[in-house]
Amino acid sequence: MRNDKPKIGVFKYSCCAGCEFQLIYFQKHIMEVFKAAEITYCKMLQSGGTEEGPFDVALIEGAITEQWQVEQLKRVRSVSKYLIPIGSCAVCGGVPAIKNTDEEYEVQKRVYDDTSLIHSVKTHPIDQYVLVDGYIKGCPMGERDLTETVISLLLGKRPDCLEYCVCVECKLRGNICVLVAYGEPCMGPVTNAGCGALCPSHNRGCYGCWGPMNDANAKALADQFERMGISKEDIRRKFTEFGQPSSQWKAGQVQS
Amino acid sequence: MIIKKKIEVDYLARVEGETSIVVRLDHARPIKLKIFEPPRFFEGFLVGRKYDEVGDIVSRICGICPVSHMTTAIQAVENAMGIDVSQQTRILRKLMCISQIIASHLIHLYMLAMPDYYGCAGVVDMQRRFRKEIARLIKMKEVINELTGLIGGRALHPVTHIPGGFTAIASQDRFASIVKKLTQIRPLAKEVVKDVARFDVPDLHCNCEYVALGDETEYAINEGRIISTKGLNIAVEDYRRTFSESQVSYAFAKKSTIPGRPSFMVGALARLNNKFDKLQPQTKALARQIEFEVPNRNPFNNNLAQSLEVVDGVDRCIKLIESNTFEDEDFRVKIRPGEGSSATEAPRGLLFHSYKINRKGVVEQANIVTPTSHNFQNIEKDLKKLVEENKGSSRDQIRLLCEQLVRAYDPCFSCSVH
Repeated sequence: MRNDKPKIGVFKYSCCAGCEFQLIYFQKHIMEVFKAAEITYCKMLQSGGTEEGPFDVALIEGAITEQWQVEQLKRVRSVSKYLIPIGSCAVCGGVPAIKNTDEEYEVQKRVYDDTSLIHSVKTHPIDQYVLVDGYIKGCPMGERDLTETVISLLLGKRPDCLEYCVCVECKLRGNICVLVAYGEPCMGPVTNAGCGALCPSHNRGCYGCWGPMNDANAKALADQFERMGISKEDIRRKFTEFGQPSSQWKAGQVQS
Repeated sequence: MIIKKKIEVDYLARVEGETSIVVRLDHARPIKLKIFEPPRFFEGFLVGRKYDEVGDIVSRICGICPVSHMTTAIQAVENAMGIDVSQQTRILRKLMCISQIIASHLIHLYMLAMPDYYGCAGVVDMQRRFRKEIARLIKMKEVINELTGLIGGRALHPVTHIPGGFTAIASQDRFASIVKKLTQIRPLAKEVVKDVARFDVPDLHCNCEYVALGDETEYAINEGRIISTKGLNIAVEDYRRTFSESQVSYAFAKKSTIPGRPSFMVGALARLNNKFDKLQPQTKALARQIEFEVPNRNPFNNNLAQSLEVVDGVDRCIKLIESNTFEDEDFRVKIRPGEGSSATEAPRGLLFHSYKINRKGVVEQANIVTPTSHNFQNIEKDLKKLVEENKGSSRDQIRLLCEQLVRAYDPCFSCSVH
């Protein structure tokens, strides 16, 4: 039987697998998308399938922390038409990249007695190793950008992903600014939108889980935090919880 | 002729995370669960982070049980810093954790375990051939995720839950509407038990200790003592003196044991074996209907135990919401140094977190032991027994049986390594 459906491969590296679950969470929506496409490789979803491809779309979840992942990633890139990192770990390093703020060996030693069996390297996002064709941001990745990206690629058009900060969504919801009005340290001004300003809508400051927005003015926000009396250490922690490897937030990651 | 004596499943599909199974039919080497999920060193990089970040960070250990990690960590931090929480917070935590247990069980039963027994490769395949079952899964999951999201802000990696309580509480109307939906899916939950009871599981009787969280009055989820079917009964504070965790050469996950005691199992089956009498009356009746008896010593029946917890959980959520009103609360947290721990029932079983916090509110030490680490030793032991009892079977049959057994434990390798 001929099968002309575009093929999708899903690969997991160092992460919580939440983005793959997010694929499942989208239930109805995603089932529609995947009627038009075929998932040929996704270990968590189905047995069988080969990682050799070829794939029309490869979705990559998780950050890179080991050598074998780099080798596989490069192979996947070479057999995929489009390759898209999904979720904060793959896009900007996410939570697994917090360890980059410390000496690698120190971090490993705290967990394992015998570190000779450990082959981890510093955490990097996917685009540090291969060219990517877009990003689906979020922790877990956002539904809107996922459907937009998959549909666009299947139609052969450029996906129109959200490229502004959380503040825009917060204003659209009519929230009172938690940073200005309540003095709550909020990462909204430098964090990519997509969550619908979830935290500020629930009485807390954004903690940046969608990762850096492009051209974020991290310096201005870090200065503002300092004026609010927040310690240098706390500011550094805020800018390294998600997106430590990203250059966009470097201005906030200064060691005291 | 060469007789191959080794069976290797080199990247087990339909489980959370990455592992291989290596079986030697001649028993020349022990059966191994080679967990190659890369370590992310949570316990390493949590050192130096602030107490109020811990919950948000550890929820990223697992995409299927983020609520459990978050709740356990926050409770441990509260214990370390001497923070008391309101009764409402404790009820909301319970609700959120039960809802996540149901969601996790549903994913495991329908998407990970069921394809084996229904002869499918995965859920996409199932969707084509077993529409009714998958429709049931989707309908139930929608409602359950809505409940988790109602309390947590979102179902995956919730945002409202911080040390001291919840930053926002949903309106009474939304609670009322979710009760209606939960009531609608009650009959579906019973169908889940029937779907799972159709699994043709192998007969395997394993002798081990079943460990769970116990409470005098209710089916313990977030609070209680650590109990077992063989008389273990300790306070959570004594966990580290009783349990031991050690690194093994072939896996990045550590293996948990109780020195001086036999190998043990945690999870839905262990919970039912320990506290069957605390289930809702309807659940007990249903269990009798499908001839589920406790203690149940077949690890494959962990699936069935999970399906019973789905029914029980839905009923309990309805009761908890109906018998309480929830309103916004003010709470303030004072930073105090100290050490504290907490154990909860995650979907896959006993989960333990402990932290040492300094006077600045910064973590100095973190220790996390997950259900799959607790089950690690027992999975290998049961695999050995399974292979011995099925010596005459073909290699393919043994391979499938081994895969099914590991899946029945509903392991989470992302958690186990973390």
